[in-house]
Amino acid sequence: MNRIPRALSVGLLLAAAGLYGCANHQDSGQALQQASTDFQKVKEDTDVLRSAPKDVIRAGESLARAERLSSYLGSGADVSHYAYLSSRYSEIAREHSNLMLNKERLAKMDMERQRLQLGLREAKLASAQQQGRWLEDQILSLATTQTDRGLVMTLGDVLFDAGHAELKNSASRTILKVVQFLQINPRRIVRIEGYTDSTGDRQENLTLSKDRAQAVADVLMDLGIDEKRIQVEGYGQQFPVDANASGRGRAQNRRVEIVFSDEKGQLGAPR
Amino acid sequence: MSIRFSMAVMAIATLVGCASDPLPTEQIKLTEQALEQAKAVGADEQPELETAEAKFADARADMADKSYKDARMKAEQAELDARLAEARVLTLKSQEQINQLNTRLNRLRKQLGEVQ
Repeated sequence: MNRIPRALSVGLLLAAAGLYGCANHQDSGQALQQASTDFQKVKEDTDVLRSAPKDVIRAGESLARAERLSSYLGSGADVSHYAYLSSRYSEIAREHSNLMLNKERLAKMDMERQRLQLGLREAKLASAQQQGRWLEDQILSLATTQTDRGLVMTLGDVLFDAGHAELKNSASRTILKVVQFLQINPRRIVRIEGYTDSTGDRQENLTLSKDRAQAVADVLMDLGIDEKRIQVEGYGQQFPVDANASGRGRAQNRRVEIVFSDEKGQLGAPR
Repeated sequence: MSIRFSMAVMAIATLVGCASDPLPTEQIKLTEQALEQAKAVGADEQPELETAEAKFADARADMADKSYKDARMKAEQAELDARLAEARVLTLKSQEQINQLNTRLNRLRKQLGEVQ
C-alpha cells in the first residue's frame, strides 16, 4: 500500500515541475531564437569580429549554455537568462564595432581637415600676395591699440553686411595677419568681442554681436588656430566707442574687437 | 508517510539549491564597476542604464533575502545592461564628433571655393 502513494507523490512533484517548465518554455524559446539570430549577425560581420572579438566569443558561449540548458526540464528561467546575456554580448560587440568604425572615419576626416586647412592657408596667402600688400606691415600696425584691456584690434563693420554675421572675403588679409601673429606667438590667446550700435532690438543685437564674433573665431579655427586659444563674447549695444546719434558714430560702434593676451597667455577678464 | 517523503525531497532540493549558489559577491562588485563606468561616460539618459539600475536594486534585495541565484542572475544582466549603455553613449559621442567635423569640413570647402 505504501508504494503507490510514494510513487504518486513523486509523480505529482515531477508533473508540477513540468508544468512550471512549460509555462516558461515559450518565452525562453523565443529568447533563445532571438539570441541565436543576434549571434549569427555579429559572428559574420568582420568589423565586429575585428573590434570586439571577446564579446563575440562570450555571446557564443552564453548561447551555447542556453541551448544546452534548453534540453533540461524546468530550466526555462535559466535558458532565458543565458539567452539574454548572449543577446546583450552581441549588442555590445555591435556597439564597439560602430564606435571603431566612427573612430576610423574621424581619423580620415581629420586628415582631410588638415589638408584643407593647408590648402586654404596657401590660397589665402596667394590671394593676399597677388594684391601686393603682403608683408607691407606688421600686425601691430594694423588697427590695434594698447588699452587697459591689453592689445585690442578693431575690425570695422565694413567686413560684414548689415544684419548678417558672415565675414566678407575682404577681411581675409586682416584675419591672415592675426593667424600669422598667433602662430608666431603660440602662447598668446585671444578674446573676440562683438558689438553693435543701438538701433534695433537689444536682444537681437546681442545675438548678432555674438554671431559676428563667432564668425571671426570660426575663420581663425579654420585657418588652424586651436579653438582652446579663442574665447568669444557678444556685448550687443553695450560699451559704445562713439555716440549712437550720428551715422558715423553708429558705424564706429558696429565692430568686432580682438583682444590679445600678453606673451604668457594672460588675458584680461571679460567686461 | 508520503507527505514525509515529499518533504524530504523538497528539503534535499532546497539544500542542493543552497549548496550550488554561493554568495555572488564578485559579480555584485563587477556590476557596481560597470554601473560606475557607464555613469562616468555620461550614460545617465540611456534606457539600458535605467534597466541596469533597477535590476541591480533587485539583485541587492535578493541578496538580503538570501536568494543568491536570483541575485547573481540579475546582477549579471545588470552588468551587461550597463556595459551596453556605456558602449551606446560612446558611439553617440563619436557620431556627434563626426557631425561637428563634417560642418567644419563643409565650411572649409566652401571657403576654399571662394578663394580659388
